[in-house]
Amino acid sequence: MHRERDKDRDDNLRRKVDVYHLAENLEDCLQCGKCVGACPVASLSPSYNSRQIVSDVLNGQQERWLKSEEIWRCFLCSGCYAACPVDINFPNLMMQLRYMAVEHKYGLKYVIPFKRFALAALQDGLTFVPAGPKGRDRIRKIRTDIGLSPWPEVSEKAREEYRALFDLSGAGAFMETINEEDDKPVELQYTEGRVTFADKTGH
Amino acid sequence: MTKAGKTALIIGGGVAGMEAALRIGQAGFDCVLAEKEEVLGGTVLQLSSSFPRWENPLELVEERISQLKLCGRIKIMTATSAIESRVSKHGYSVTLQSRNGETTNLDIDAVVLATGFGMMDVSVYGEYGYGIYPEVVNSLEFEARIKAWSAGLGKVPEGVAFFKCVGSRDRSKGYPYCSKICCMYTAKQAGLVKDMFPYTKVYVFYMDYRAAGKCYEEFVREVIEKKHVTYVRGRPAKILPEGGKLLVRAEDTLIGIPIEVSVDIVVLASAAVPRRETGPLAEMFGAKADKYGFLERQRFSLAKASDRVFFAGGCGFPLETLAAQQEGASAAAEVIELFAHE
Amino acid sequence: MQTKRVINPGERIPRVPEAVFLFRSCTGSLEYPGTESAVKETLKFLGVEAVTDPDQTCCSGFLQACSAYKPEFCLAVTARNLAIAEKKGLDTYTFCNGCYTGLSEFSHTLLSHQDQRAAANELIGRWGYRYEGRTAVYHVQEMWYRLKERIAEGVVRPLKGLRVAAHYGCHYLSAQYGILDDAGYPTFHEELFEALGATPVFYKERQLCCGYSVGRGFTHKEAIVQPHLHKKIKSAAVAGVQLMTTVCPGCNVALDREQPNLNRLYGEEFHIPVIDLAQLIALALGVPASKLGFAANTTSLDHVLKKLNCDKGS
Repeated sequence: MHRERDKDRDDNLRRKVDVYHLAENLEDCLQCGKCVGACPVASLSPSYNSRQIVSDVLNGQQERWLKSEEIWRCFLCSGCYAACPVDINFPNLMMQLRYMAVEHKYGLKYVIPFKRFALAALQDGLTFVPAGPKGRDRIRKIRTDIGLSPWPEVSEKAREEYRALFDLSGAGAFMETINEEDDKPVELQYTEGRVTFADKTGH
Repeated sequence: MTKAGKTALIIGGGVAGMEAALRIGQAGFDCVLAEKEEVLGGTVLQLSSSFPRWENPLELVEERISQLKLCGRIKIMTATSAIESRVSKHGYSVTLQSRNGETTNLDIDAVVLATGFGMMDVSVYGEYGYGIYPEVVNSLEFEARIKAWSAGLGKVPEGVAFFKCVGSRDRSKGYPYCSKICCMYTAKQAGLVKDMFPYTKVYVFYMDYRAAGKCYEEFVREVIEKKHVTYVRGRPAKILPEGGKLLVRAEDTLIGIPIEVSVDIVVLASAAVPRRETGPLAEMFGAKADKYGFLERQRFSLAKASDRVFFAGGCGFPLETLAAQQEGASAAAEVIELFAHE
Repeated sequence: MQTKRVINPGERIPRVPEAVFLFRSCTGSLEYPGTESAVKETLKFLGVEAVTDPDQTCCSGFLQACSAYKPEFCLAVTARNLAIAEKKGLDTYTFCNGCYTGLSEFSHTLLSHQDQRAAANELIGRWGYRYEGRTAVYHVQEMWYRLKERIAEGVVRPLKGLRVAAHYGCHYLSAQYGILDDAGYPTFHEELFEALGATPVFYKERQLCCGYSVGRGFTHKEAIVQPHLHKKIKSAAVAGVQLMTTVCPGCNVALDREQPNLNRLYGEEFHIPVIDLAQLIALALGVPASKLGFAANTTSLDHVLKKLNCDKGS
């Protein structure tokens, strides 16, 4: 293993990852760790450390988080953003880091489970529709019993327009790039295994 | 040697104001020292000790008060505030009002503003529970606790946690600046707790420690190495009540893992802000203040805020006791220079 | 320090509207239809007409957060959905934190980025929609707090002795600026509980996320989300919580439907029913339990309803 060198780093990385300009103040980071103190995931899985990820991005280090298991653990709960004394919107950064990982085919296994919901949504204009007829009937009964329409109303017009937007906006094309056969494996890259809690559940 | 007719008004009887009054008086000019509290001494009166020499701050205040009284040219007016001012032929015509409602009108030739700093109201940090949990206090309130313990009052704590930079270096809910003195006084407070209660766990949660002064670095190292205060690098995220104690959640950033510690008292080193009297006084005397309300000095000057108006001490920016005295002396020098050339 | 963080309800909703566009949550309408019903009933009680439109689709925020959609899709979908509200001249109220954040964030992006707004309007323009930002986005919890006094006056079934815990969820308070409370220590739900006569419980992990907001319940259920939920529910149980409220159907799914799993995995006996805040309010206002769809809840409320004497259709 070689020592990390300046040539391993890309000074422009922080602008490259922030494609949607949602986390432009990363350099304000004081590395204070208030985000990690607030993070529910870090308390269970200390290898996931928002502060270290920001540090890596600022230092132009891409490989570590891009190929990591860690970036897929964030709940996007914004506990970090609420705690941050310089208002770095870390969830928005995380969202973009994930897109970048997907672009490089890392972590597809964590996006694939949602493909079927996305495709089902194209039918109903609704996400999280119960899969089978039994589930649908149950909903219809509960709704009818309380005086609502048996099914949440989404017009045919709405569904057609929704489908059209899916293709026209590039969502469909994006979905097609997410395939099991392209998935590259990710693993814990930060400290798990090297630094742990005594009790693995973190209680 | 009398300097006929020249009078300086010093508003604020803390160490900066007292120093200014003393020097102006000793130079042979009349001054009035107006202090809104019943006694002179300002913030220093509330302190239980000092850095870097661990001295009793009350001794300094007492010494200065007796010197002020010895100097015949200084009129001390406690429980008194300046309520109004007009520009007059030679300076200002100021109305002072004492607590019992009595007013006095003064014609003065120069003003020194020395109204000091206060603590930010840190109840905006809901995550720290100031104002919600009684055992979460700010650093000035904690000085009173130390004094009480020294007098044998109050329960012995099993654990105390100090949070630095509460409100300072915070663009989100506080102020972007560094309040300069908190690293030092926190080390002092932590050291004092350990001196009184060697078995109490004492934590200081920090991002940095700033010890730029003579004997300052050695002071902080003594607190860490000899008094065994535990310094943890990480700005705490939250305080939760648990089992009658307070649970602190933070990250130990030097290892890179989240931690929790359970303590009885949490001390928030709150950002220093100008006292609320400063704004109206600045307006009254045409002094410029920055966006935080701290007085601004004119270019090339040490203490001049506007024509015949000078300032010293915490109302310009937070600073330690000795520095406040030095600023008081600088303001006095500019006043004396002004008077001597007229 | 910039724009105000916490604002009072009168500033957030200066004038109570006569009608609002009620943005329906698909998770809400499909998992907990009782929430949809309770929201409608409460708005009705408050004299606010809830206007819905079958042309509204899913906000699509969830799958975007799960990295399945790119923002461009959601920007167009948001523009289209909000254009519907705009055409009616109404402000938009949603009853799901997820929809709220999706609509807020995407509409904010649309309004502050001319090029992205133009792109979205171009896409939706083919069907005659146009988004101009004339509809403000709110969550109904803001309306409840705004009209707290009116609700308190309408309580016919005070929830005396009921120990209720709030689960605020993450995606309303995370906005931080221009909202009703501070993410550091929110209290406005507890104030509503008191207005209903209930006893609020400040349990240790009151502010912990539910873990489900971006699908980690699908990708990391055993590894992270279940241990995480165990912490949350355990701290509520230890504090003697009898009922928990949410303002997000996603959170409701996590906290309600995982309890049997947690009991099995950790040998616990958790039984804390979880309902929407609007359902709690509706109960106190006298809406019969039979209209509030508690059959959809995994963790049964029967014992609570019995305690309040409102079981079986009363």
